[in-house]
Amino acid sequence: MSAPPLLHLQQLDASYGPIQVLFSVQLEVQPGEIVALIGPNGAGKSTVIKSIIGLVRVLRGQIRLAGREITGMATHHAPLHGIGYVPQGRILFARMTVRENLEMGAFLQQDPRERRRLVEEVLDQFPQLAARAQVLAGHLSGGEQQMLAIGRSLMMRPKLLMLDEPSLGLSPKYVDQIFAQLLVLRDQGHTLLMVEQNAARALEIADRGYVLELGRNRFADRASALLENEAVRRLYLGGV
Amino acid sequence: MRYSDLGIGALLLFFSLLAPGFLNNYQLSFLLQVLMMVTLAQSWNLISGMTGYISFGHGVFFGVGAYTGALLLMGGAFWWVAILSAALLAAALALPLGLLTLRLRGPYFAIAMLGLNEVGRILANLWVDLTGGGDGIALSPLLSPVLATNYFSMLALAVLATLGMGWILRSRFGLELRAIREDEEAAEMLGIDTIRNKLIAFTASALLPGAAGAIYAFYTSFIDPSSVFLPALNVQMIVVVLLGGRGTLWGPVLGAVLLMSVQELTWAEFPALHLALLGLLMILLVLYLPDGLLGAWKRIGSRYG
Ligand SMILES: Nc1ncnc2c1ncn2[C@@H]1O[C@H](COP(=O)(O)OP(=O)(O)OP(=O)(O)O)[C@@H](O)[C@H]1O
Ligand SMILES: [Mg+2]
Repeated sequence: MSAPPLLHLQQLDASYGPIQVLFSVQLEVQPGEIVALIGPNGAGKSTVIKSIIGLVRVLRGQIRLAGREITGMATHHAPLHGIGYVPQGRILFARMTVRENLEMGAFLQQDPRERRRLVEEVLDQFPQLAARAQVLAGHLSGGEQQMLAIGRSLMMRPKLLMLDEPSLGLSPKYVDQIFAQLLVLRDQGHTLLMVEQNAARALEIADRGYVLELGRNRFADRASALLENEAVRRLYLGGV
Repeated sequence: MRYSDLGIGALLLFFSLLAPGFLNNYQLSFLLQVLMMVTLAQSWNLISGMTGYISFGHGVFFGVGAYTGALLLMGGAFWWVAILSAALLAAALALPLGLLTLRLRGPYFAIAMLGLNEVGRILANLWVDLTGGGDGIALSPLLSPVLATNYFSMLALAVLATLGMGWILRSRFGLELRAIREDEEAAEMLGIDTIRNKLIAFTASALLPGAAGAIYAFYTSFIDPSSVFLPALNVQMIVVVLLGGRGTLWGPVLGAVLLMSVQELTWAEFPALHLALLGLLMILLVLYLPDGLLGAWKRIGSRYG
């Protein structure tokens, strides 16, 4: 292999205070693919993402972005490294408008004209948001909020977009829309790392998948192979 | 918006500059105290109104400033050197405090500040060699600036505080603080160094009460622990900002004028009830007028305008 993976976690241990949550976690994301990270509640999926952007303390192991070590970086440096993050529960600025939220997404962009251009670009991509640009984010529906959270994370043109449970708490209609949107992003060349409860749906759109259990790697394979895997189906896809 | 701000400011400044010409000493003293409250409220507005980190003990910087100013003046320093030093010392105290408490999210800062004013008062009582303990410090009238000088110092400070707030509200720094108040984690994710911003806001906010404390000491020419580490002062600046509108430019000014006037007319008669009434007012404001008078005004305006 010539180029290093876009994201590479090696033997990652992480903890909340004294409680260790991740044990030697291994994960790779290649440019241009969608990787799904699945597993039961409390498996440590969110923790993996949080340790990448410095919200959780890494005890041991390495995180590399395009070959460059970023282990333990300060969270506010994530956008500079080209990492976009859509947190679980889509944290927005509820009392700011849709447009203001998007502008905040390009906060590090000093040139206001360039910032406005980026806002227009994202609004073009999300027509639903464009129609509600002046509405307070807190007044949007759940699905629209998720769109906004994704749109905001795209403002800095991230090399890697990480999404934590993008379908959580959404009606089926919106889940369809969000997943369709993620595929569009992939086709535009974005690279996505996605954590999902909705494992079957996630694996349907993903290229590869990792199954995490009790903070440890359990399975890793092409998404289609995981969907076929007997054990994975029984344990995590609620299937037969 | 900007021009109307400048217009209001110019008008207020014009009146305040002429005031010593037609007010008697009693009235001028009252105005000085209003200006002091504007200064303190803008200071509280900067850290708590803008970032949402509530300081229940901002008065500690006022007390430190009062003692610093009084001691330096008695030691022979120029009055303006004493004021400047008081401001800087208060900020120098705020920085390590902030480093300890603002690196964490959540209530640590509020809890730490809650006790701090009391710590200040107790220290001032115990450190007799420096502060004179409970006997306080009487400033020699020969060394203290006259009322008009103190009035103009306080006016300059209040103008500086309000101009500073006006600048911050329009600046990138102000936007960063607002983002922290709205959602700190989101702000951090989007590239805002939240700890650094909170520290700058807090340290800068300590300059104002430090200076105001020194001017206050010159003005009353007597300070003791219970008059400058005054629990009521902490509550007053909070009530003033909540009443006017937190995170706004004119809220603290409006709140200061209103609260000081009402107090002068009524509560001065009931000193024992004072703190209880202030506390009650604070609760009522939080419950029923969270955005203050300016917020309510804006809401009514947008509904009917
Ligand atoms: N802030 C925290 N402090 C202490 N422990 C935590 C914290 N957040 C999560 N944990 C613990 O870490 C473990 C992994 O949590 P994590 O949120 O990563 O799981 P998850 O796989 O994302 O689960 P879910 O599907 O419920 O979101 C759990 O046992 C959880 O209780
Ligand atoms: Mg999770």
